Amino acid sequence: MKKLTTLLAATALASLMATAAWSKTLVYCSEASPEGFDPGLYTGGQTFDATSRTAYNRLVEFKHGSTELEPGLAESWEVSADGKEYTFKLRKGVKFQTTDYFTPTRELNADDVIFSFERQYKTDNPWNKYVAGASWEYFAGMGFPDLIDHIEKVDDLTVKFVLKRPEAPFLANLGMDFASIMSKEYADKLQADGKMELLNQQPLGTGPFTFVAYQTDAAIRYKANPDYWNGKQPIDDLVFAITTDAAVRAQKLKAGECHIMAYPNAADVAELKTDPNLQVLEQEGLNVAYLAYNTLVPPFDKVEVRKALNMAVNKQAIVDAVFQGAATVAKNPIPPTMWSYNNAVEDDKYDPEAAKKMLEEAGVKDLKMKIWAMPVARPYMLNARRAAELMQADLAKIGVTAEIVSYEWAEYLKLSSAKDRDGAAILGWTGDNGDPDNFLDTLLGCDAVGGNNRAQWCNKEFDDLMTKAKETADVAERTKLYEEAQVIFKREAPWNTLDHSLVVVPMSKKVSGFKMDPLGIHRFDGVDIAE
Amino acid sequence: MSAVSNTTEAKTGGTPPSGLSEFWFYFSRNKGAVIGLFIFLVILVVAVFAPFVAPHNPSVQNRELLLLPPLFQEGGTWGHILGTDAVGRDILSRLIYGARFSLFIGLVVVTLSVVSGVLIGLVAGYFRGKVDTFIMRIMDIILAFPSLLLALVLVAVLGPGLLNAMIAISLVNQPHFVRLTRAAVMAEKSKDYVVGSKVAGAGTLRLMFLTILPNCLAPLIVQATLAFSSAILDAAALGFLGMGAQPPTPEWGTMLAEAREFIQRAWWVVTFPGLAILITVLAINLMGDGLRDALDPKLKRS
Repeated sequence: MKKLTTLLAATALASLMATAAWSKTLVYCSEASPEGFDPGLYTGGQTFDATSRTAYNRLVEFKHGSTELEPGLAESWEVSADGKEYTFKLRKGVKFQTTDYFTPTRELNADDVIFSFERQYKTDNPWNKYVAGASWEYFAGMGFPDLIDHIEKVDDLTVKFVLKRPEAPFLANLGMDFASIMSKEYADKLQADGKMELLNQQPLGTGPFTFVAYQTDAAIRYKANPDYWNGKQPIDDLVFAITTDAAVRAQKLKAGECHIMAYPNAADVAELKTDPNLQVLEQEGLNVAYLAYNTLVPPFDKVEVRKALNMAVNKQAIVDAVFQGAATVAKNPIPPTMWSYNNAVEDDKYDPEAAKKMLEEAGVKDLKMKIWAMPVARPYMLNARRAAELMQADLAKIGVTAEIVSYEWAEYLKLSSAKDRDGAAILGWTGDNGDPDNFLDTLLGCDAVGGNNRAQWCNKEFDDLMTKAKETADVAERTKLYEEAQVIFKREAPWNTLDHSLVVVPMSKKVSGFKMDPLGIHRFDGVDIAE
Repeated sequence: MSAVSNTTEAKTGGTPPSGLSEFWFYFSRNKGAVIGLFIFLVILVVAVFAPFVAPHNPSVQNRELLLLPPLFQEGGTWGHILGTDAVGRDILSRLIYGARFSLFIGLVVVTLSVVSGVLIGLVAGYFRGKVDTFIMRIMDIILAFPSLLLALVLVAVLGPGLLNAMIAISLVNQPHFVRLTRAAVMAEKSKDYVVGSKVAGAGTLRLMFLTILPNCLAPLIVQATLAFSSAILDAAALGFLGMGAQPPTPEWGTMLAEAREFIQRAWWVVTFPGLAILITVLAINLMGDGLRDALDPKLKRS
């Protein structure tokens, strides 16, 4: 009997090893659980990694590892002369994924595209409120509800978007995660079954990987989509091992429990680099971290005060202490890798003496202020508390007393948007589509006051440039406008621009084909792993 | 064994010892307690004289010397015996100043919870009946929550900060004192000496505070010592979770939390605050053990 068990165990083991040899599994240690599985509803990078970049596609896609656009589900497109009509020709024969829970009977057509967008802005659409508190935050944040006049189906494989005004970044916006194309057939079936909420739990799209299972806060499993229109992926299975602690992720990577990890601690990078089994990819991130003053509240409504505070802070010290040098000091609100970056702009020089004098001249004495520090690590700011402590010490040198406050992350985002916020808030931004508009107008435009514009800064001159640049299609012309806008920004100093960080992705040497994404997304299409 | 016989001899020999020397006699029989007391006194002295003992100002950031290793490791210097942290502050100085906060927290929390706990417990035990039931059910409710969780909720409501953390921890600690006092009061109340003084005409307040309370103090003192150490621990835990002391306060738990990411790269930033918490709490607990030996009549051997 004992012999039999041993034999059985040996067979089981052998068969296990055999499957291991046959299927290639890539394990990715991700940093957080996805908020849900419908990319339109959320804004978190971990959600996009787990949904839109695995299970879904968009009409246009960003080239792997760049912000250039390439055809996705749309094979080609035309823009009308007035810039208000975009006609997309859909790819023929694109199959939706076949899963345990749904088997599609038809291929992608114009209805799917229309459904994917209309559910996000038509309030009478049954899918507009299918989960409690659905807000379509990104769709609204990009100004789409006021932009899209209507979407029409020309024929089965042709869709036309009609806009209310010309919008230069429109195409790039369609490459973003919220614009993922869902299956209308699947949605219709869920609706008929009365299980609409499953759309947010069991994704089904046209993407390179098919969703298999999700164990809450532990792991997400995918398998390669055999019918993928761009060919089956080199790996067979993809696993997201959700590991919230960066030190634990690093340990798992070293132990070989995962092949790729997200966001290592800056302090661990040097050690990971020395590990002979690991490779560490680095790239300048498309991001910026800033300290936004509330320009509506005195004395921060005075330019001189904001300038003086900017001059008092030693930003290099922040880069050294928080990023261990893996970042550069920022002077513009957009990162240097982005087109239209104005290198001629001069940063406020670190000069505590001059800063002190400037404050005195502005008639501000014994200034007490609050510094809001984010409670979580983001790629652009790994430790906001530490940065805040450094600023606190710097400001003390010019006689400003700073108090550091912090809130739970969701609360922090909400409270820091308030127009009457007391204090300056540390925050940052990672670009969504590689367009400067996505930084300058989204974060500093008048429309964003009380929202993404944490400085509550509305400058007519700056805002006019933004509107003009939006309506211009010519890139050279737009570059000029954005360069000018950066000069105005620096002159008015609504923010203290802190840093642009390096994004680091450590991985096993067995992994090949992984490309760093400037948008901070982790994509696994095209990635292979050696035995 | 010989120690026991010796002490018996000593005791039966001379005149009956005074209260203090009797206390010390029993206390010192517990070696751990004496060591604990000694360490506690050292920490106390260091905390009181922090400005004279600490080599540096705890919040001055030396930007040239980030993450400097401690003296005994390669690259360490005498200037910073235990090294520096991520923003270049001297760890030894921060620990020394941190001792002030930890002891202060312990003291405030214990005072708050002892005073309120004893008062409430005294009322409950003395009056019994509905008052008692009402008070004890509330205490049961508080005790039904895991203490740290309740403290977290309270701090979340009150807002993070050292003062609010102390209030929250005292509130969480207080039911223990209420229960202890109530039990002791109930046991004492029916004793002859209490009945005697009642017959002699003592008023309620006099009975409660002057007759009964002094005879209930022994277990309370022991509990207070233990609460002292658990308060330090809880405050460190709250600080670790970002709900306690706010920067740049050199509180041990906060220091630990800020240094977490360096566990691989710079072990000293994480290790020393942790050790400081460990040693302090251990010392106080040992001391509490000795106090129990000395104060609890049941444990006395003669």
